[in-house]
Amino acid sequence: MSTPLRMPGPSQDQPRGNPDVRLSVEQASYAYAPNPSQAPLFTLEALSFQAKPGEIVSILGPNASGKSTLLKLISGALEPLSGRIFLNGFATGSLPPKVRAQRIALVQQESRLLFPSRVLEFVLQGRHAHGRGLRFVSDEDIAIATNALAQVGASHLADRWMDKISGGEKQRVILARALAQQPILLLLDEPTLHLDIGAQVDLLESLRRLAAENRYTVLVVTHELNLTGEYAEQVVLLQKGKCLRVGPPATVFQRDLLEHVFQAPLTVEMTSSGRPRVTLFSKT
Amino acid sequence: MRPLTMSRVFLRCGLLAVILFLAMVIALKLGAVQVSLYGLGRDLIRVLLHQSSAISTDYGMIVVDIRLPRILLAVLVGASLSVAGTSFQALLRNPLADPYVLGISSGAAVGSIVALMIENQLAFSAEYAGLITPLGAFIGAAVTITAVYFLGRREGQIDSTTLLLGGVITASFLSAVIMFLMSTLAGSNLRGASYWMMGSLSSLPPRSLLYLLGVGFVIAAGAIYTTASDLNLLLAGEKEAMHLGVDVPRVRIVVYLAASILTGLAVSVSGAIGYVGLLVPHAMRMIFGADHRMLLPASALGGAIGLVIADTLARTVVAPSELPVGAVTALVGAPFFIYLLRRRLG
Amino acid sequence: MGDLRSSLVTRAWLLCTGVFVVLAAGVAAQGNGAGAVASPAMHEVTDGYGRTVRVPVNPSRIVSLAPSLTETVYALGDQAHLVGDTDYCDYPPDAQKKTKVGGVINPNLEQIVALHPDLVLLSKEGNVLETVRALDTLGIANYATDVHSVEQIIASIQKLAEVLNVSEAGKKLTDDLEERLTALQAKLARVAPKRVLFVVWPDPLMSVGQKTFVADALRRAGAVSVVESNQDWPQVSQEEVARLQPDYLVFASSHAGSSDHDFEALADRPGWQILDAVRNRRFAVVSEAIIRPAPRIVSVIEDLARQLHPDVFPEKPGRQEGAAVGAVPTASHLKQVTSLVMQAPCVTESSCGR
Repeated sequence: MSTPLRMPGPSQDQPRGNPDVRLSVEQASYAYAPNPSQAPLFTLEALSFQAKPGEIVSILGPNASGKSTLLKLISGALEPLSGRIFLNGFATGSLPPKVRAQRIALVQQESRLLFPSRVLEFVLQGRHAHGRGLRFVSDEDIAIATNALAQVGASHLADRWMDKISGGEKQRVILARALAQQPILLLLDEPTLHLDIGAQVDLLESLRRLAAENRYTVLVVTHELNLTGEYAEQVVLLQKGKCLRVGPPATVFQRDLLEHVFQAPLTVEMTSSGRPRVTLFSKT
Repeated sequence: MRPLTMSRVFLRCGLLAVILFLAMVIALKLGAVQVSLYGLGRDLIRVLLHQSSAISTDYGMIVVDIRLPRILLAVLVGASLSVAGTSFQALLRNPLADPYVLGISSGAAVGSIVALMIENQLAFSAEYAGLITPLGAFIGAAVTITAVYFLGRREGQIDSTTLLLGGVITASFLSAVIMFLMSTLAGSNLRGASYWMMGSLSSLPPRSLLYLLGVGFVIAAGAIYTTASDLNLLLAGEKEAMHLGVDVPRVRIVVYLAASILTGLAVSVSGAIGYVGLLVPHAMRMIFGADHRMLLPASALGGAIGLVIADTLARTVVAPSELPVGAVTALVGAPFFIYLLRRRLG
Repeated sequence: MGDLRSSLVTRAWLLCTGVFVVLAAGVAAQGNGAGAVASPAMHEVTDGYGRTVRVPVNPSRIVSLAPSLTETVYALGDQAHLVGDTDYCDYPPDAQKKTKVGGVINPNLEQIVALHPDLVLLSKEGNVLETVRALDTLGIANYATDVHSVEQIIASIQKLAEVLNVSEAGKKLTDDLEERLTALQAKLARVAPKRVLFVVWPDPLMSVGQKTFVADALRRAGAVSVVESNQDWPQVSQEEVARLQPDYLVFASSHAGSSDHDFEALADRPGWQILDAVRNRRFAVVSEAIIRPAPRIVSVIEDLARQLHPDVFPEKPGRQEGAAVGAVPTASHLKQVTSLVMQAPCVTESSCGR
């Protein structure tokens, strides 16, 4: 069916500390002041956690809790105010964009294209970080891109135009582009936002499979409680810029804690598979 | 769909180059004075063999000294403006961008007016006289490029929207300065300036200027071409491009400087010829697609072909009078632009 | 197979590029134009630009790039040697039959070269530096005039006559012109000059500056322009003119068609009634020759003097060369003035470039 993509080589990466840890966020914090004289508008207080290869980590919290900021810090879009972020022992802030893109892939919700292109061309953009010179695509690039499309079940879309496919299909194509980068860290920002329930489950199942087959570390920013509970191995719970708890879902999904964070009455029960399930009530 | 490969780029560019060659031959033949193709071929061969003195005086001076430099100028200016236009459309992420949107042509106009004033004061030396106005224009352009660069920065980096705003404002300001200068300066020696500002290839540039233009084009367009793949991604969005491995600040600076230099060089020599930098990229995109690895060389060749044809029309339609070439490009360009709009900008 | 095709095209492309490069090199190697076959005798003169130029001793194929110079060539009787002139060269009528080489600002170089001229005449105020440069690059002898007063016009005519090798005709002509001017001077000696507004174009209102030969011509005709400006073709506001209240309005026109009602049409335009001169119908119309620095200007000066100071000229005015009676701007006048306006500081936004 689909072959696993190339595993990241051990050659350049000199692991620092625990070889089992791929991503290490150490006391990273961020503040943003639109005006030097004003108080900082948004703060992400120092937090730390670690992630392993093959693991799915959910960054969970309500709106404006700092989830996207944390993701941007990890992806390298923002410089942390304090602390550092290490990927396989290398500080991500010090990597040039090209190298960083070979390791970290970000899946965003939308992709605005000024001039439309075809799906395969779009996915080939993911090979940019691995190219040299004028970067004319090689056969290997095409193979990798085709493979990526297959991995997300979108091979039949290869020749279609990007502006003519549905939202769900587009989401899969964007994911395929990220896979074509052959990253070791996969970041997703609220990927389930515009998907219907079946598609949401499909996506998470694919992520679980991909993480297992290719040994990705997957970070998903979300506010979906039950998807997190079902699929994540680790949860980073945020509220208003503060990290309240880090741990497996069973540990983090405590009723009082969740009710406090999400400001809604709920119950938590454990399923037979050891995963928590959250049920929300109405407020009356 | 087969993705772009280098050999496909070569193939298509080869085709365009052949068309350009044909256009140049036709342009050499046509003009206010009749020239036969046979005589043309004979004389060109004599030029190649350095037997210039054997050229029949009927053709020799007209073809070799007047038409050929003019056609070469059209090639270089057309290519420069088109590449600059493609680059600015990518850099500013705006399909309406043209090489002049950031005020470079207005800055060059101010520079050329100042240079004309200075030239009137200095002794008349034919050697250098041909260089003072283009030099002044280029300095004006360079100052504008620098000013707009600093205006267009946000948090220390070029930002597309800020750059566009800064450039448009600068362009307006400089246009006002031009109007002020033209209306208050004594003396009639500025009359050439308004003609120049319409864009014209009819000045006989010194050879050194043609060389400069050629070398500048190769260097600047080459620099832009190295970022071709980056530009493709940049159009998807700056954040996305960065996450895909593009060094966005570096690409922005390289493209901004190189495209501005291309524009400055072209405008210094020929004034502000309109529509070429705006429409050739769109036309080439419609034919060859939006991949900049193909689009950039295609725009260069397409722009050269377009301007050679436009200039030939300008020279021949109302011979012996001449239309300003900017008028021809506008007359042809505007309807084409409307057609493009209706096709939703291919 | 695709490879074969692409390699063929690659070779074709390389061939074209190669030819292109060699052509460019050929252009580079080319010296200053195709060498002239036999060099006629040349000598050096100083021209209006202050440069020393080499011109033929006996020019036999002349191209004139200024209407004033075409007129002068005819006045000097040398028109047989005139082989080409501009679209705007319309006087004398015979000049219209000469081969045209294009406009004054943008003459067609190819057309000029095709006429094989040995001398090209230019005027500093009408032509552009670019044309001079182009002619120099092509190795074509050229001579330019530069005049800012009536005195200089006459001197320039004499100088031109020398360049054209018709000095005797030149002397006769300039002597005659000077005589007439002196006579006129005597007549006007005891008369106060009239204050006039010389209207080059009514809307936007353009007049002449003090340093032009037109202003000097006005002075010689017993008038003085009320516009104090050092620009050549200043644009004046109607308010300013209303404040100055000139005694007379002077128009230049090209048609000998009497049209009092044309003046009415002008007077009816908004804002003109504020002028005394308009209300009292004090205006003079002269031939457009007043804006051409050519021999005819003396006739125009005389004509204007008659119109402004009729009491000094008791005898009936004969049919003067180039005199015209009132007419407001017409189509051919439009052509003339358009070329002037092109030369003037740009007056509308669109003509000032982007």
